[in-house]
Amino acid sequence: MSVDHGIGDTSLALDGNAAAGLMRELFAFDITTARLTCDGCGTVSEVATARVYGGTMGAILRCAHCDLVVIRLAKTPAGYFLDMQGARQVFVAR
Amino acid sequence: MPATEVARKDVSPRRLQWLTATVNDVIDETPRTRTLVLDVPEWPGHRAGQHVDVRLTGDDGYQAQRSYSIASAPEDTRLMLTVERIEDGEVSPYLAGDVQAGDQFELRGPIGGYFVWTAALGGPLFLVAGGSGVVPLMAMLRHRAVARSNAQTVLLYSSRTQEDIIYRAQLDELAATGDGLKVVHTLTREKPAGWTGGTRRIDRAMLSEFGFPLSTKPHMFICGPTPLVESAARALSALGHEPARIKTERFGPTGG
Repeated sequence: MSVDHGIGDTSLALDGNAAAGLMRELFAFDITTARLTCDGCGTVSEVATARVYGGTMGAILRCAHCDLVVIRLAKTPAGYFLDMQGARQVFVAR
Repeated sequence: MPATEVARKDVSPRRLQWLTATVNDVIDETPRTRTLVLDVPEWPGHRAGQHVDVRLTGDDGYQAQRSYSIASAPEDTRLMLTVERIEDGEVSPYLAGDVQAGDQFELRGPIGGYFVWTAALGGPLFLVAGGSGVVPLMAMLRHRAVARSNAQTVLLYSSRTQEDIIYRAQLDELAATGDGLKVVHTLTREKPAGWTGGTRRIDRAMLSEFGFPLSTKPHMFICGPTPLVESAARALSALGHEPARIKTERFGPTGG
């Protein structure tokens, strides 16, 4: 699996799994199996089903149904920036 | 929610650690793919379908990182990765080319709990692969065999040419045990003499012919290049399968 590709071309989109390693740096659990409610269309789906652009140093996850950006994560030398404006709710099973 | 700055302090013990992997053996699978058999003393174990991140560090400190699916069953004593060489890639020319027994590199994992099958989930199990997308599905088939699962299983596997078929002999062996596994090959770029498999890309007709009836509620896993994954997932959904039962993992076309 490769996580190195251009941004903006949907044919190059990967799924949530591609950003799993990066997100695992931040979350103490596996967020790819969490159920995310998209703030745009209300669809509830596992984070792994989102379309991912990027992967190693940063990732943009878009809702597979309406394309809204649900998670943006950037890794910088100073720390991590996380924007989940497009995620209305995230459910993590215990 | 505004952008949140997250401090790196307070690192949870559950956080993934970079582990040292030592190459125990290298197996040529096809002209473009090799399997790395690894010793990873601190490996915490995995489930079939998960992947790892591999990190290579150059003498100058430059680091390159890629994700690779795990090919071995959870029950296997050593961790195996099967890597396809991408020309001009940063990582795969080393992993699928120059790497030798005794070499060491860093990896972390297992990663991803979504694209996972365990024998306890049962069947029927419909696996759809394109090219090196067969790797995580092979981990599932190996796990299925070791766990003595007799879940009805079909692997529909698209390769460019006959010599590009990864694990061909091993798949033949697994299918020959008569425990409910059927392997169907299709080739997209050649039609060799005597070839009895398919000779076109995986399409709706093929998925309908070799897949399981809706009423049996199969578990479906599709892995390969993005166009294959999207068209297969769309076709299975159009055939009436519940989208939640269709799990996908896309491979990027470049980077390596």
